[in-house]
Amino acid sequence: MSNNSMPKLNAVLLLAVCLSIAGAGLAAAPHESTYAPRSAPTTLIQGVAVLTGTGERLERADVLMQAGRIAALAVAGGLDSAALQALSAGSGEAGRWNEAGGGQERQQEAAPVRIINGAGKWLTPGIIDVHSHLGAYPSPEVASTADGNELTDPNSAGVWVEHSVWPQDPQFGLALAGGVTTLHILPGSGNLFGGRGVTLKNVPSRTVQGMKFPGAPQSLKMACGENPKRVYGEKEKAPTTRMGNVAGYRAAWAAAVAYREKQRKFQAREADAAPERDLGLDTLAAVLDGEILVQNHCYRADEMAVMLDVAREFGYAVTAFHHAVESYKIADLLAAAGVCSAMWSDWWGFKLEAFDAIPQNVALVDAAGACAIVHSDSAEGIQRLNQEAAKAMSAGRRMGMAISDAQAIAWITSNAAKALGIADETGSIKEGKAADVALWDRHPFSVYAHAEMVWIDGHLHYDRQDPARQPVSDFDLGQTVAGEGR
Amino acid sequence: MNFGKRFFGLSATPFVNSLHLAVLRLRKVRARLLPALLWVLAAPSWADLAIVGGRVYTLEDQEPLVGATVLVADGRIEAVGVDLPAPFAYRRVDATGKIVTPGLIESYSHIGLREIGLESTTDDATLLEHPLGPAFDVSYALNPASTLIPVNRMEGVTRALTFPLAGVDPLAGLGAAVRLGGEFLLAPRTALVGYLDAAATDLAGGSRAAALQRLVTAFAEASRFSPSRYRPGPGDYSRHDMAALKRFITSGKPLVLAVDRAAEIRRAIDLAAAHNLRLVVLGGAEAWRVREALAAAGAAVAVRVHGNLPRSFDALGARLDNAALLHEAGVTVIFTGALHNSSNLRQMAGNAVAHGLPWHSALAGLTRRAAETWGMENVGVIRPGAHADLVVWSGDPLEVTTWAEQVVIDGELMPMRSRQTQLFDRYRDLSKPYGYR
Repeated sequence: MSNNSMPKLNAVLLLAVCLSIAGAGLAAAPHESTYAPRSAPTTLIQGVAVLTGTGERLERADVLMQAGRIAALAVAGGLDSAALQALSAGSGEAGRWNEAGGGQERQQEAAPVRIINGAGKWLTPGIIDVHSHLGAYPSPEVASTADGNELTDPNSAGVWVEHSVWPQDPQFGLALAGGVTTLHILPGSGNLFGGRGVTLKNVPSRTVQGMKFPGAPQSLKMACGENPKRVYGEKEKAPTTRMGNVAGYRAAWAAAVAYREKQRKFQAREADAAPERDLGLDTLAAVLDGEILVQNHCYRADEMAVMLDVAREFGYAVTAFHHAVESYKIADLLAAAGVCSAMWSDWWGFKLEAFDAIPQNVALVDAAGACAIVHSDSAEGIQRLNQEAAKAMSAGRRMGMAISDAQAIAWITSNAAKALGIADETGSIKEGKAADVALWDRHPFSVYAHAEMVWIDGHLHYDRQDPARQPVSDFDLGQTVAGEGR
Repeated sequence: MNFGKRFFGLSATPFVNSLHLAVLRLRKVRARLLPALLWVLAAPSWADLAIVGGRVYTLEDQEPLVGATVLVADGRIEAVGVDLPAPFAYRRVDATGKIVTPGLIESYSHIGLREIGLESTTDDATLLEHPLGPAFDVSYALNPASTLIPVNRMEGVTRALTFPLAGVDPLAGLGAAVRLGGEFLLAPRTALVGYLDAAATDLAGGSRAAALQRLVTAFAEASRFSPSRYRPGPGDYSRHDMAALKRFITSGKPLVLAVDRAAEIRRAIDLAAAHNLRLVVLGGAEAWRVREALAAAGAAVAVRVHGNLPRSFDALGARLDNAALLHEAGVTVIFTGALHNSSNLRQMAGNAVAHGLPWHSALAGLTRRAAETWGMENVGVIRPGAHADLVVWSGDPLEVTTWAEQVVIDGELMPMRSRQTQLFDRYRDLSKPYGYR
């Protein structure tokens, strides 16, 4: 950092301090992302079949990635021929497209352009998992790193799961091999308010800040049903019932509304003092301001309907219901409310509130015009979300529902991006979007398919053929045989 | 009743193909000669089946019979072959363009023992306090009305082993063989299961050494057990347990040990060898590291294919090609890990193929190899005399885009319905008035 940028930084800090004192704008300022895209050489994938994530399937297309973005998507042979010639030659003309970074541009002028023959292969947007606990519940599963549930109070809205994420969790690299480029880490569901979730880029990093998806909103994890009432029922403290759960949400939201009003009055100089800083209420107030999205663990249809009432009562929006195994029972209500459902393809029966789960849940929600997402909530499942989407699609087809692969891929890409508030940036293969893509050696809905290459912001982070492009966490050093993966 | 069925009652036992075809020819002749009236009386039982036109994987041969016919009579496979005529009276199941395999066998489940994971009142697989060890016999509590039966049967699972879970002792008890159609319990006390993985270390006081020692000592004492001379001390197995353990050791049935770390897998091999027991390693995350020893011992491994995470410090060597490496070394590979969703066994087998296991061996791990491992005779294969457990698949049974179109168990066409399909039917059209549909 040069000296002349220091005053500017100091000004920013000063402003942040002022804002802190004012008790306003607390959600966004601190703990910022330090993620920096790695080198993104211009890459052209030719003649590849594409599921765009926007509902389209192209049988043979050319996809051009440059400066970390999708620069062009065209029917094979449809790209501007002069540009292609320049790319093929790897000439100075092509070099112009290399590297977004300012100062290095001239030095890399002659850098070769990577051209990949996509014949017989499939390209999809990088997969996005909206419900993961990687880093917060890492492998190995031992008490000393189980950091996902702050089970000391049913309202832990003040905790941020990013402060639990261990970037060396070997599970991140395995998810990358499954084509996952973005994942949303949530606190657990033992509390009514579990805390703030964080969206991460699935990149190797020494710090969690280095993985944080720049500009992605945080989330507030809320949980319905069995988990909170079981956890606190065992402690003989509220909530021990579902009505206790709802009273708990309402009391907290009422406090948040009052807290926000005090902040407003202070800012409008109608009050002399700001309310005393409360980390939990900061989170809830930021939800009321629309800065933080609500991700609500909720299995049963009737409870989701109640949660929509709670949201209406206090003026916030539920972005997605997670583990929503009964969404199919109220798919019309969810469509009308514009709420996403994040679902498993087939998990059922492991607890009573999952007893009515059916494998057509995702298909029925999608058919009703509601936003359907397939999520993992599992360090194993995240490695094959493509198969989970395929199972959900096939379960619908088995019952006579017409569902295309182009439609179903949205469940793990664009719809997921929408639920994380990052759809403008990623989740679809479209000109201008981030070059977050996965190249599959066959149709990704085949059990035999492998992600061959995975790019994040145009950088090749994973290559199935190249051990040097397969991230190995610190933990795995000395545990696995060199050159042999998991 | 079906006159012909009694006459050809022999078809329920295995016999050589030539004799079998002669019987078929005889039946054809009779069919031409008998008056139509007799057929009206004899045929409507619909008991016999002709599954025609499918690509049939018999598991007798790696190559499928293409466009083949499978004849089923008296609950058994009567004949299988290409250009096999389907007798008039047989109910026809068209499998043109489909794949036909033996019914799938789930090697490790809790079907009929545990309805809802977190509801302890529906869980008879987990013994929490009662002081039973190897004598714990789950067959007393099997629930033939479990919703898991139709749900998993619809996915092509026709038989399963149902086991106790880790409870209060490393030796959790005796599992049973069950059938997902007709009479539920096939055979009680089919195998003894013990848990020696990281999660179970606490069961023996917190040390793997203690857990193994408890097993080694108990097996040694059980083999010379005499009720009148046995004086159990505190924490020792009861007479009841020792008697059960002795009966098990002499039964020739498999010893199932859930164990992940290579070092303990070697101990498990030693224990089984010391008592001439067949070993089935359950999970075996690091089994690939000791594959030669497992092969030499004739052990089978029930692989958790998706278990590539270093989930515990016992499983640091976990990897996706465990099944492939074991198979290559000559170890019998079967599958586990699906629990409530047996359908996912197919996906797991498919992923094993994606990581190097030959396709046919993966299918065998769900059928023939599983039957052999659990001592189920005439199961898991399509050959004359075998139990007619069959599945007609919409495509490759290991693919996630395929489903079971028809399931047959012991010759009976199974209803392709479950509580889940009823829920689907109720909610597929939300405009209908609620509650009476």
